[in-house]
Amino acid sequence: MKSEKVVERTEINYKEQLERDVLAAMAKPNRWYWVALGFSATCFLIGLISWGYQIKIGMGTAGLNNPVGWGVYITDFVFWVGIAHSGTLISAVLFLFRAKFRSSFNRTAEAMTVIAVMTAGLFPLIHLGRVWFFYWLFPYPNQRLLWVNFRSPLIWDVFAVSTYLTVSAVFFYVGMIPDLAIVRRLTTGIRKKIYGILSLGWQGSLSEWMHYNRLYLFLAAFATPLVISVHSVVSWDFAMSVIPGWHTTIFAPYFVAGAIFSGTAMVVTLVIPMRKIFSLEKYITLDHFESLAKLLLLTSLIVTYSYIVELGIAFYSGNVFETAIFKYRMMGDYKILYWIMISCNSLIPLLVFFRKVRRSLPSLLIISLLANVGMWFERFILIVTSLAKDFDPYAWGLYKPSIIEAGITLGSFGMFFTFFLIFTKVLPVLSMTELKEEHE
Amino acid sequence: MQKLRMNSTGLAVIFLVVGTAIVILEVLVAGAQNASLLLTLVFWVALAEGCIALVAAAELSHAQWILPIKRALLSVYPIILFISILFLFLGFKLDIYPWAAKQNAWLNKPFFLIRNFILLLLAFLFAWKFAVESGKESEKKNRYAVLYILFFVFSQSLVAFDWVMTLEYPWFSTLFGGFFFVESFYSGIALAGILCVWLLKQSTEDSDKLEKTLKDTATLMFGFALFWVGLFFAQYLVIWYGNIPEETSFLVTRLSDPVLGKLSPLVLIALFVAPFTLLLPQRSKSRSGLVQAMSMLIIAGIFLERLIFLIPVVSLNPFLVILEFLGLALLFAAVIANRHWLIRQS
Amino acid sequence: MKQQYLFEDKAEFLSKLQELKDKGISRKAVTILIPYPLHEVEDIWHPAPSPLRVFTLFGALAGLLTGFAFTIYTAKDWPLITGGKPIVSIPPFIIISFALTILFGALVSFAGFLILTKLPNIRAMMEPEEYGNQFAILINNEE
Repeated sequence: MKSEKVVERTEINYKEQLERDVLAAMAKPNRWYWVALGFSATCFLIGLISWGYQIKIGMGTAGLNNPVGWGVYITDFVFWVGIAHSGTLISAVLFLFRAKFRSSFNRTAEAMTVIAVMTAGLFPLIHLGRVWFFYWLFPYPNQRLLWVNFRSPLIWDVFAVSTYLTVSAVFFYVGMIPDLAIVRRLTTGIRKKIYGILSLGWQGSLSEWMHYNRLYLFLAAFATPLVISVHSVVSWDFAMSVIPGWHTTIFAPYFVAGAIFSGTAMVVTLVIPMRKIFSLEKYITLDHFESLAKLLLLTSLIVTYSYIVELGIAFYSGNVFETAIFKYRMMGDYKILYWIMISCNSLIPLLVFFRKVRRSLPSLLIISLLANVGMWFERFILIVTSLAKDFDPYAWGLYKPSIIEAGITLGSFGMFFTFFLIFTKVLPVLSMTELKEEHE
Repeated sequence: MQKLRMNSTGLAVIFLVVGTAIVILEVLVAGAQNASLLLTLVFWVALAEGCIALVAAAELSHAQWILPIKRALLSVYPIILFISILFLFLGFKLDIYPWAAKQNAWLNKPFFLIRNFILLLLAFLFAWKFAVESGKESEKKNRYAVLYILFFVFSQSLVAFDWVMTLEYPWFSTLFGGFFFVESFYSGIALAGILCVWLLKQSTEDSDKLEKTLKDTATLMFGFALFWVGLFFAQYLVIWYGNIPEETSFLVTRLSDPVLGKLSPLVLIALFVAPFTLLLPQRSKSRSGLVQAMSMLIIAGIFLERLIFLIPVVSLNPFLVILEFLGLALLFAAVIANRHWLIRQS
Repeated sequence: MKQQYLFEDKAEFLSKLQELKDKGISRKAVTILIPYPLHEVEDIWHPAPSPLRVFTLFGALAGLLTGFAFTIYTAKDWPLITGGKPIVSIPPFIIISFALTILFGALVSFAGFLILTKLPNIRAMMEPEEYGNQFAILINNEE
């Protein structure tokens, strides 16, 4: 009887402690936070200035020219869309599979998704010559006798990415409603009013929960195929052409796996410092990281499988152009980047097979950072090499990113981290309701 | 099924009899140009390896729902060995491959047989080790699950690339290997659905658990219907859009054929349209009759698809195809009936 | 008569709920507030299942139809010949329709959720009744 009472009390303590810890993370920021925010915002500003300069002077400020018309901007686009993937994956797919380790990460991952899609969405605009005409991409009433071509993969992108942004944002928000009600209860003054409005007046009645659980399940069920389709569509931007190295059937699943790989790596990169800074060690444990590390390993293996199959089939096909492009990637002008890509994406993640490595946060942090580097180079290699040397040797040419492109890329990282830092201060970083439910 | 319960000698005799019968029919009666054996191998290797892969994936993700049907699924591991040995007899028929006339470093008869045989054998060894350890719930089961899945992926990819794709050189699709191992996994889920319903009818003991398992299996089936069509579409779209003759040839041969052109949509219905729409409502996922019907439809769909892959390029003997199908179905029934001693539980 | 039962302990809360149910109390009079979803409550109380799926299905189908109708109609109305592809090319249109199916399905589900739960609840936004991590049963017998 007595022991039962004790258990009961610790349980109540757990719930209150959890609320207190999460709210503490949202409290007044310390000096390090301001330093980090200042640094990210500066990078963001550099990006904005670079873009402004590019708009004023013209696209010539980017290193893009014939034959390489797609360079760093499209690399960045694919990279950020990829980062955006793991958020919904961790959240929705793991929810459907009832994987428990999800509740420690899902909020961070979903926030990351929304921010990364916003970042990604800017790049097609940055890449446009006359960016003020970007709305031509949308099917708006055609007084100008313009109409979009639904057979163009770029239009599929418009639909896929904007759907992804909307649905991810809804999913993120819906998942947060009960938690916002908790924040409303624990804050005072103007913050209480704001969170009161954001929580939509959630009370937690049984009927509210009944509808809520259904909604969450349906949104997860919608988000899962959506995740897969969005990066497939991004891959089809390339695969629909007949350029050697681009036109291949494995591209869609291979891009999806790569996206999940880089997204998971980014979650690890973000959560390790966040957990430390906000002292959330109790809720995000080593076991959780281990599960995430295994997901990283799985996706790395799928990516490696795709590398091998692409290479193998290129040689099997006996097609001169296919063979040549793969030889060029491995041994041509961009070979250093290629081998960095192979090391970061295929070789180094194999270390996760060792239990010691996957249970050590410093090593996981390094592996995840390298995975992000590797995935950025992967997209660069893929895009640039195929354009630099396609069919006709007369049309070959090299590409070197300009300082403006570097500035804009830096700016995208600045934007991402600025928004993420703001997120950690204004919204609850852990899903309190789910952690309580799981603790039962 | 009860009649098939026997000891290890009895099971070995059944395997030997079916094996000898197939070999005699294939080698002595059918002749070198007949590829019925290839169809049998391509279909049953997917089903057998898929069952073990499903359990391995479930074990690795700590899924509890698999437990009531785990033994039945794991007990098919001897079939992989049977198929490995049967595969060697394909050596008599390698002239069905266009590359047999002009062999090179990768595509030559000895290497083709050796690499595929070794991969199948390794898949069998790890399936066996995994099945035993998983039955015992030992610590080592996860290690073998990982190893098995690695070899499962490689073995199924080579089934796709080596056994099927090379029949139609220079046609190629890089996703073909991935498509095959996903399909194999899908067929494993379908068999799990059939086993669930069968076990539900047999025992009343843990029918609660089995009903939950049935629902989860049906949900997984529903998910894989969507996943399968995604992979199918990913290949179709790229080939359709690229419109390169050497790539479209594969589709054109089949879709413009008066008979195959009508049969092909059936595959899409069996593997996507029917399971997706019928299993969409929440309640239908726990209706055993429907789940069983969908499971059978999926397995039939995969068989039909493999048939359509092979028909235009090789000659098949319908009599042999049916006989071999029945023979292997008998073996499946036999191992599942004897799961109690094949997979010993602790 | 208004009654209010608050529980720190889940088991006590559930037994009280069972007791009320056994008494055959009118469902309309009872409001149950819980800090996180509990399967046990559903097992005891058997609340009506959520009809949200009707919204979801309607939204998804509407999206699918809109996707095909929109692409096919406008492509025919304003024919652009590109890449040697037919004007009405179903494979690419599937992609657009798929995206719209998900978009409409998700948004209509969300709207359905708001309608069914009568959220946003202005009164609760301004002056919420907070029960913290307690399980609450509110009984409102005004007859």
